[in-house]
Amino acid sequence: MVDILRVENLSVGFYAGSELNIAVEDVTFGLKEGETLVLAGESGSGKTITALSIVKILPPAARIFSGSVLFYGQALLDEDALSLADIRGRQISYIFQEPSSYLNPVLSIGNQLAEAICSHGRIKAGDMRVEALGLLRMVNIADPERVFRSYPHQLSGGMNQRVFLAMALASKPKLLIADEPTTSLDVTTEAQILELLIRLKSEIGFSMIFITHNLAIARKVADRLCIMYRGRIVEEGGVDKIFNSPTHLHTRELIAAYERIGKI
Amino acid sequence: MINYILKRLLSIIPLLLGITLISFAVIHFAPGKPVELQESLNPKVSPEVRLRLQKLYGLDKPVYAQYIDWLARVAKLDFGRSFNDNRPVMEKIAERIPLTLTINIFSLIIMFGLAIPIGVKASLTPGGKFDSITTVILFMLFAAPSFWLALILMQLLCINLNLLPISGVVSLDFEYMGWWQKALDIGRHLFLPILVSSISGLAGISRYMRSSMIEALNQPYIYTARAKGLSEKKVVYKHAMRNAVIPIVTILGLSVPGLLGGSVIFESIFALPGIGRLFYEAVMTRDYPLIMAEVVIGAVLTMFGNLLADIAYATVDPRIRYKK
Amino acid sequence: MKRNKVLISGLFIIGVLSTIALLAPFLSPYDPSLIDSSSLLAPPSLRHLLGTDSLGRDLLSRLIYGARISLSIGLIAMGIATFIGLIFGSIAGYYGGIADSLIMRFVDIVLCFPVFFLILAVVAIFEPSIINIMVIIGLTGWMGTARLVRGEILSLKEREFIQAAKAIGASGPRIILRHLIPNAAGPVLVNATLGVAAAILLESGLSFLGLGVQPPTPSWGSILIESKSTLGVAWWITLFPGLAILITILAFNMIAEGLKKEIG
Repeated sequence: MVDILRVENLSVGFYAGSELNIAVEDVTFGLKEGETLVLAGESGSGKTITALSIVKILPPAARIFSGSVLFYGQALLDEDALSLADIRGRQISYIFQEPSSYLNPVLSIGNQLAEAICSHGRIKAGDMRVEALGLLRMVNIADPERVFRSYPHQLSGGMNQRVFLAMALASKPKLLIADEPTTSLDVTTEAQILELLIRLKSEIGFSMIFITHNLAIARKVADRLCIMYRGRIVEEGGVDKIFNSPTHLHTRELIAAYERIGKI
Repeated sequence: MINYILKRLLSIIPLLLGITLISFAVIHFAPGKPVELQESLNPKVSPEVRLRLQKLYGLDKPVYAQYIDWLARVAKLDFGRSFNDNRPVMEKIAERIPLTLTINIFSLIIMFGLAIPIGVKASLTPGGKFDSITTVILFMLFAAPSFWLALILMQLLCINLNLLPISGVVSLDFEYMGWWQKALDIGRHLFLPILVSSISGLAGISRYMRSSMIEALNQPYIYTARAKGLSEKKVVYKHAMRNAVIPIVTILGLSVPGLLGGSVIFESIFALPGIGRLFYEAVMTRDYPLIMAEVVIGAVLTMFGNLLADIAYATVDPRIRYKK
Repeated sequence: MKRNKVLISGLFIIGVLSTIALLAPFLSPYDPSLIDSSSLLAPPSLRHLLGTDSLGRDLLSRLIYGARISLSIGLIAMGIATFIGLIFGSIAGYYGGIADSLIMRFVDIVLCFPVFFLILAVVAIFEPSIINIMVIIGLTGWMGTARLVRGEILSLKEREFIQAAKAIGASGPRIILRHLIPNAAGPVLVNATLGVAAAILLESGLSFLGLGVQPPTPSWGSILIESKSTLGVAWWITLFPGLAILITILAFNMIAEGLKKEIG
């Protein structure tokens, strides 16, 4: 099977004043169709920057120095924002860590959901609402009308994350990039969201890049695993292989940390 | 939200009390009591006026009683009569309000109308050419005394270029003008005062808008908006600006004291018969009833301005409007 | 700190101005009240570098002496305001409770009075003089400092070093003076710098209206009174005093901006 996403020799850096900090160094990985790839590592290892680089939504101080990103054969890094707009939100979607921060506080849920729906084609207002409510039900929200009218601050973290998921899946994307989607949630909600994510993935059939620092979660959702450390990929392979016979020191440290807490 | 408004309305009461107390204390306890000063400066004050003065300040009663009397009168907008021409103070003020109001409303429109776009544009390319140039210009305008800018503009536009009339509200032959010409005449006369009084606020508001936008553009939800594939226009104007503009809304209400203070200077320079000029004349002639009336009214207007600012903020920000 | 161009430039300008003000008797080409009846309302020339006013007085000399007046009024007025603000603010912030509520209520009330109105009213009652102006501007300008100091103290109060000082048995006033105020010094200094600029603007406005520094004493504002009547005839009387004010205010603003960068 061929890779639908191929990231090769990606290097990204930040300018802090006149100093240059390398955040991602020579990262290479591939993703097959329907696969879940987990990017695991501690904070600051470059996971998020790697993910944001794929559709070039980096902070202004960041620079992509080298590398290529091929998505279904299309070279994404060569495109400008205008042509990437076609890919963003339609073929590649994101969900982020703290849904309450990543949702606009002054726009209603319905408004933001409508944006996601309308972005892949013209749609009538009445149909839009129906579709939005349908999406909300799809993510197991029991009272979609109320949530539709609400603002992010009126909903819980778990509820907001479901909304976010609905937004991300509105266009039936081919790739979902989930950046620590459950890190800010409590354990019960976390389990629910993960379950929802896995179920929807098999129903809709998208491929996923899942970012986390929690190896227990990684084990749960991953087909393959990339361990990142200080901007580089230090180990890569199938889930079982990595957990049973890790080679890199850092991988072993990460596994040990979670074994200690008794989570693995 | 209703609760919030009610709470804010209730908090006005101690403020009003405080304002009136301080004003009254100033009149009453100031050395060289205003009344005595008036009497000593003008020995020809007739017994009737003297009696009226005594009555107005209730000088024969204990202090707290005087305060209550005064308060009761003020509540009915009776601030006594002007020392200068014996007309009721409130009447003198009321007839000048429309002009000052007009000038300040147009000022606000220009101020916000220019400052917001400038601030937004500067925030999109911080450190860029537009940003740097406008920052320097605005810094200069901000540092220049407003009355000096007025004088310079008067020199340039009125005298050197003879484009605009130098003072007053209407020209000498106003009465003979047609309807349209009258409007144009007033416009030409008020153009400079309105312009100058908006310059002072322009710098502050646009800087505020700029920093507010920059902060909004750095928020996480902007990543979301871009990741959704929204056009840059939508990201900036729908997502960022809606957030950034919220604190600006409060500035409208908070600009009342600044505008009032400014009107004193501008109306004096441009010889406009507004309440600012009235205040100035009152101070020059030590017309205490008028002075105190304007101070109290000014304070009350400021207070309502603050109240409006708070309520506007609560209305515009959904996080306050719809409490959990 | 050496790279802070804005701060250095601002300090330099104020340094130059202060020196001019201090050395006025030595630097001024003529006595500011000396009447040269042969050059009434004369434009700038070699004899009178900035021209003369309608009484034949040298403008440059008047501006130099005016620097004394305007700068000292600005500094002293803001000194008074900062002093009062520090006292009220630290009491309100440190002791909290009723003292805090009362003081803040008082601040709210006084802030309702438009500053200019208040100052003019007080000037009407107490005749204008240099001392009176300083005191009045100071008495009407402490509120911002008080709020600022209170805020700083509120946030500093709970920090460990304060708890430590309390544990050793340090008394309230001692804690305030030795620990809290020095740490709040940064923002207070920025505020004070901007306040001096504001005070100078206020004084010039008052003097211009004839209610501040009284002629013949030269303050930059009172010199401008004459420009009203000489508009169009003597551009130098309008331009130079205003320019002096502009440069001074600009310098103080630059110092404040520079300080802000230092504090970070």
